[in-house]
Amino acid sequence: MNSVNTWTTTQHFWLIIFGFFVAFLPRYIPLLVFTKRKIPDWFNEWMKYVPVSLFTALVVKDVFIDANYHLAPMTHLPELAASLIVIVIAYRTRSMAISVILGLISVFLLAMVI
Amino acid sequence: MSVAIRFEQKQPLEAFVVSYFTAGFLMEELFLAKQVRNPNEPLWLSTLRVSMPLNLSYIPIGLACGILLHAAGFNTLLTAMVSVVIFSGGAQFMIASMLTINAPLLSIVLMLFFLELRYALLGSSLSRYLQGQSHKFIFTFAFSMNDENYAVNYLKFATDKKWDGRQALMVEHYSLLFWSVSNVIGSLVGSALKIDLSVVHFALTALFLYMIVMQIKNRLTLLICVLSAFLAAFFLIITKSTLGLVISTLIASFIGFLLEHHFKTKSPDTRWFWKVRGPGSRKEAVEKSDNN
Repeated sequence: MNSVNTWTTTQHFWLIIFGFFVAFLPRYIPLLVFTKRKIPDWFNEWMKYVPVSLFTALVVKDVFIDANYHLAPMTHLPELAASLIVIVIAYRTRSMAISVILGLISVFLLAMVI
Repeated sequence: MSVAIRFEQKQPLEAFVVSYFTAGFLMEELFLAKQVRNPNEPLWLSTLRVSMPLNLSYIPIGLACGILLHAAGFNTLLTAMVSVVIFSGGAQFMIASMLTINAPLLSIVLMLFFLELRYALLGSSLSRYLQGQSHKFIFTFAFSMNDENYAVNYLKFATDKKWDGRQALMVEHYSLLFWSVSNVIGSLVGSALKIDLSVVHFALTALFLYMIVMQIKNRLTLLICVLSAFLAAFFLIITKSTLGLVISTLIASFIGFLLEHHFKTKSPDTRWFWKVRGPGSRKEAVEKSDNN
């Protein structure tokens, strides 16, 4: 990360402003629309499966996909092994704190070994 | 510059990060994590307890993000600004890495748009808990919503009947505070610190894994989880962008909805609704580990 970016502060500022709009509108519009009117039941039933699907997708991206969007599970072996440990710990303890801390310890130790 | 010398090597810092988490989380676990809210306790404190695991996870990742933005040429004021108005770890890491390769403004903004599109799903799935809130509240809530505080809030809304919009917004603001302060400190210490990103980033992966385990209530959710894993890998590779996350989530959750509807109308006694937790649950856990 030593390469120096040639942008000026003004350009960074505009990047943040544009970035704000593309980040804010997807957060705002659905929330505004769906809290102001009666939501059909089927939509709620559908949205019920969003968290599990989205979190799984995020984990798959972290563990199986590399920065160039290629399938690369072998480059993330410590994370892969630590993920299995976290799943078991989360299942047994039902505690967010214990899962995260033991997960970090295992990925730290595994990264030294593997 | 004693800090610079002390953190020159990577191993001691990682050990420091791990021991920091150990201390923080054990403290939280022993003294703070009470499932039932003490009625005499002020609301701000009980909500802080709920959001504390997330806040602590944000500190090392926020530091790392601030350091990266500093390396990409952002000054401290702009780092503070980007951490408040964009408030998304993924987006800020992407900005930093695209700036170091001198990508044009338009392509960074487009990439950001694809990355942030998934927030539409977060808002949609939380909306049923925020019915009838004022326009001002919705605006403020949307402003500081991101993956991680959504995860905490969704779990609380789903399991705690007393959880309301006010507390949810408070969780967002606590996480925003920890995130932006860590970003600013990271930007100030700049290149003096070296953090192994992959190790620190795993805190968020573990958080999401925990959320998945808590979401899996019956065999059908487990099936959707496995399906989503394959769809996510497929669409991420096909689209070469995080748009794949949005597409796979939409499809997997819709299939979940269709299957549930099908089973409920056609065969209500189906095994797919059997609980994962409870008798015979150990076998399910093994199955899940194999597939993930």
